Amino acid sequence: MRDRILYRLTWLALALSLGHHLDHLVRGNAVGWPVTDQVNAFTASLVVYPIIITGLGLYRAGRVGPGFWALVSGGGAAFVAVVHFGPAAVEPPELILDPYQPPVLGWLAFGWLVIFVTVLALTSIYETRLWAQLRQAGHPAADAEAGR
Amino acid sequence: MVATRVGLWVGIQLGLAGLLVLAGAAAGPALDEAAGWWLVYGGLVELGTLGVVVWLLGREGGRYRGLLGPPTTAWQVAVGAAGVLGVSVPAVVFSAELTSAGYGDAAAPMFAIVDLPPWASVVSVVVVPLVAELAEPVAYLGLVLPRLERRLGRSWLAATIVVALWAAEHACYPLLTSGGGGLAWGFAAYRVASVLPFLAAWTAAYYALGRRLVPIMAARWVFNAGTALALALGLIE
Repeated sequence: MRDRILYRLTWLALALSLGHHLDHLVRGNAVGWPVTDQVNAFTASLVVYPIIITGLGLYRAGRVGPGFWALVSGGGAAFVAVVHFGPAAVEPPELILDPYQPPVLGWLAFGWLVIFVTVLALTSIYETRLWAQLRQAGHPAADAEAGR
Repeated sequence: MVATRVGLWVGIQLGLAGLLVLAGAAAGPALDEAAGWWLVYGGLVELGTLGVVVWLLGREGGRYRGLLGPPTTAWQVAVGAAGVLGVSVPAVVFSAELTSAGYGDAAAPMFAIVDLPPWASVVSVVVVPLVAELAEPVAYLGLVLPRLERRLGRSWLAATIVVALWAAEHACYPLLTSGGGGLAWGFAAYRVASVLPFLAAWTAAYYALGRRLVPIMAARWVFNAGTALALALGLIE
């Protein structure tokens, strides 16, 4: 039995990710291959789409469970947060806020990013709880992820 | 509950300002001077909230423990609180950008006005954040949200209303005057906008954690007590 909320959260995160990549393309100040010939964080972040598509297939087939998704969501949240937030950010908020005119568009794009990272982190929490519940109940999907 | 909290925030600050006026201060500066104590008199607001929660529970026959959700082990609290702190990071960044856009490099006004004697700083760090966690999230998420869900039949709508009301309440603490003499409505709007992502994230985390409140209370305590400590130590200026 696949979890409907997990599916919905995954699709929501996918839509938010697509929107954020669209924002990159509109701004044009932090893009890489395949739009330019430079390989950077933008290029690396595109790997999320094959991971999600493959993960959805494996989840439907019962080969992976919520533990896999917790790692994908948590890893995604950490990656986007490190790239955009904090003192070592390679693409700080100003890179999103400054190029847009009128400024409210910049705040919309930045708000989108904030919601995106928050949804990824919340999704990871939900999936971790689901995984822990399945392990506690001795569910085969959780056992498979734990290597048993 | 919301009306009680707003009434307490406004009433206590006005009462304090009234005492200052009686002592000879002008009305405008007295309100701002009273606002400088919001991290301390907030404890009275939380005690009042706790009183209403206990009164409501007594009337309905419920238990305070029942408002905190399913039993939560120590490791669940620790892992959950770490997760809630992680979820709060985007809200911290959004709030910081909003402060920077509105006030430049200066500290946000609700922190800039705080000027407490040492004993009051100790109260604001040790006592108030603890009482706040026993009252504020329990009132909004443990008490108001489930009742609203039952009444409306739609969790997302109930959660949206709770977040909106919870954020709106923040416009009242503290009330500040503008240069023109009236209330600083721009600051009130900033206060609501800056706190909104935190409250939305914490309310969503409440659902993600299976309606367990203790990890959220623990994370919020770290956050609020840490902010009060940073203020007391002069790290926020």
